[in-house]
Amino acid sequence: MTNSYSENDLRMKTKHTTRSIAVALCLSIAFLMLLIPTSALAVDDENCLMCHKYAGLGRYAKNEEQKAIKRIFYVNEELFRASFHGKLRCKSCHSGVEEIPHTDVKQVDCATNCHLNDPSTGRDFSHKAIVDDLKKSAHGADGAKTPDLIKDLPTCKDCHTNKPYQLSVDKEVESMRFIQVCLECHESEAWTNRFYKHMFYRAHTRRSSKQVVALCSQCHADKEKMDRHGIGVVVGFKDTFHAKAILYGDEDVANCLSCHAPYQMGFSPHRILSHADSSSPIHPDNKLENCRQAGCHADAQEAFASKGRAHPSNVIIERVDEDGVVISQEEQKFQAWVINMIELFYKILIVAVVGGLGFHRLADLYATHRERKIALRAAKLGRHPS
Amino acid sequence: MSHGKNERSFVRLTKSQRIQHVILFVSTGLLIITGFMLMGERWVIEMFGSAGNEIFYWRGIIHRVAGVSVTLVCLYHLGYIVLQEEGRSWIKDMLPRMSDATHASQNVSYMLGFRETRPKMERFTYMEKIEYFSVYFGMFIVIVTGIMMWTEEYWPKFWLDIADAFHLGEATLAALAIIIGHIFSVHYNPHVYPMNKAFIDGKISESMMKEEHGLWYERELERLAAEEAEATSEGNRNNA
Repeated sequence: MTNSYSENDLRMKTKHTTRSIAVALCLSIAFLMLLIPTSALAVDDENCLMCHKYAGLGRYAKNEEQKAIKRIFYVNEELFRASFHGKLRCKSCHSGVEEIPHTDVKQVDCATNCHLNDPSTGRDFSHKAIVDDLKKSAHGADGAKTPDLIKDLPTCKDCHTNKPYQLSVDKEVESMRFIQVCLECHESEAWTNRFYKHMFYRAHTRRSSKQVVALCSQCHADKEKMDRHGIGVVVGFKDTFHAKAILYGDEDVANCLSCHAPYQMGFSPHRILSHADSSSPIHPDNKLENCRQAGCHADAQEAFASKGRAHPSNVIIERVDEDGVVISQEEQKFQAWVINMIELFYKILIVAVVGGLGFHRLADLYATHRERKIALRAAKLGRHPS
Repeated sequence: MSHGKNERSFVRLTKSQRIQHVILFVSTGLLIITGFMLMGERWVIEMFGSAGNEIFYWRGIIHRVAGVSVTLVCLYHLGYIVLQEEGRSWIKDMLPRMSDATHASQNVSYMLGFRETRPKMERFTYMEKIEYFSVYFGMFIVIVTGIMMWTEEYWPKFWLDIADAFHLGEATLAALAIIIGHIFSVHYNPHVYPMNKAFIDGKISESMMKEEHGLWYERELERLAAEEAEATSEGNRNNA
């Protein structure tokens, strides 16, 4: 038995191996801990990420329509920290989360005070003023006719998605140069970065006109939903000059918000009003001023803004009021009829002209074909006289 | 039906008429392209990608420049047919006559095989007259509605909707009529394929003139003979 280990030797070797594995494990854990950014550990003092860092965290639930949906509770920390709300603690918005598993979760209310200091007032920051504005606006719950229609109304999250601050590469390079200047005085690079991006994002429109149209169309092009609220569905906008220019990427022409929430007239997307409201920018009395906004139709005359619709439709839109009575819109009906008649006139004319020309052309080709046959026969006869 | 190179040819279009025609068709082509760019569906427009905005800007400029030049050439033509001898002869021969209806019915029955020969036609055939006066009708509508939309601030919005509907309807009609009527008769017509060069050199060959404008051909021959006779008699007088 020259090449064999004794039992004792074997036991000794195993013990040795176990110890080295343990040491290696400890060392690698320590090393891995070094890799975790200390900032992350410091900010998540509520320790929510202990569970919410796992990508698989989620559950199946039922939504309001009793349809099964997948709810994801995973939070990508890096993305969250880079987002608009990245500096907030989780419980600033998710209030009442004390028990595990969370059975005491309340719906996030954007009007709560979030314990951030508003440097302009020195008080706690809150979106309450905007939430109140929204409530009073055409999109607000205050205007809803029946409680079951409230769920159709847009909430903060429908438009505001807490996106990460992301700049295009050239804008990123540009901002780095700018931030260098700030850092001459301001010490914290992280704070400067965030402050710059906060301003930068607000200095630029966050949604392109195309995105604005798509966002509003989610509801306003939905006939069923608009019928529920007694509002005319928007069908004519896509055929307007404004809409075509937007599709080409022109950001200077009017999108929905330019006329329905013009900042120049003191409105904002949170304070959109019904056309029936006398202070609304699309109320007949204010339309002219609306069209005349700087950069738009500055020379607009009374007639331009009063007779006719900004996004007319050939489809006659029937509106139903609360009692189910069809609101007659004689003017719109008449205008749609006139445009339809012009189109019909041209359709008939086009069919007649194209048909006539086509017939003439085909008949001419038939004649040419006959002439060629006759010419060929004549040539043949000429060559072989019988 | 030979189109020999040494064949005698006649003047079909004068220099002024050819220049008017070039301005008309270049502008109209640009107007049709830049105009229908507004009618594209979403996916067509999105194919321009990030260049879209720049293209849209130039689309508007080109449409306006071409619109102005087509308006000017139309106005010039109105002056031309009134004030110039050449233009007066043009419009005189262009005016519709009863004979056009006869020629039309005779030509159609020939084409369909009910007649042995084509009718002898004048300087302008009934089809050419229809095409010519269609341009008046179309131009009147697109120019008036175009000016309205260019000065939109001064018009009621509903009038602009009407103007828009007429502008689009007329443009569609004109584009189709030009393609099916005119392009086919001067390019794809087997007699002239691949193209009738008259719009470049202004000439028409004797054989084609005899075939398509028989009455005019006879008139021209008479005129030439009379001129010749006059020249000879004048020459004789001078010699005497």
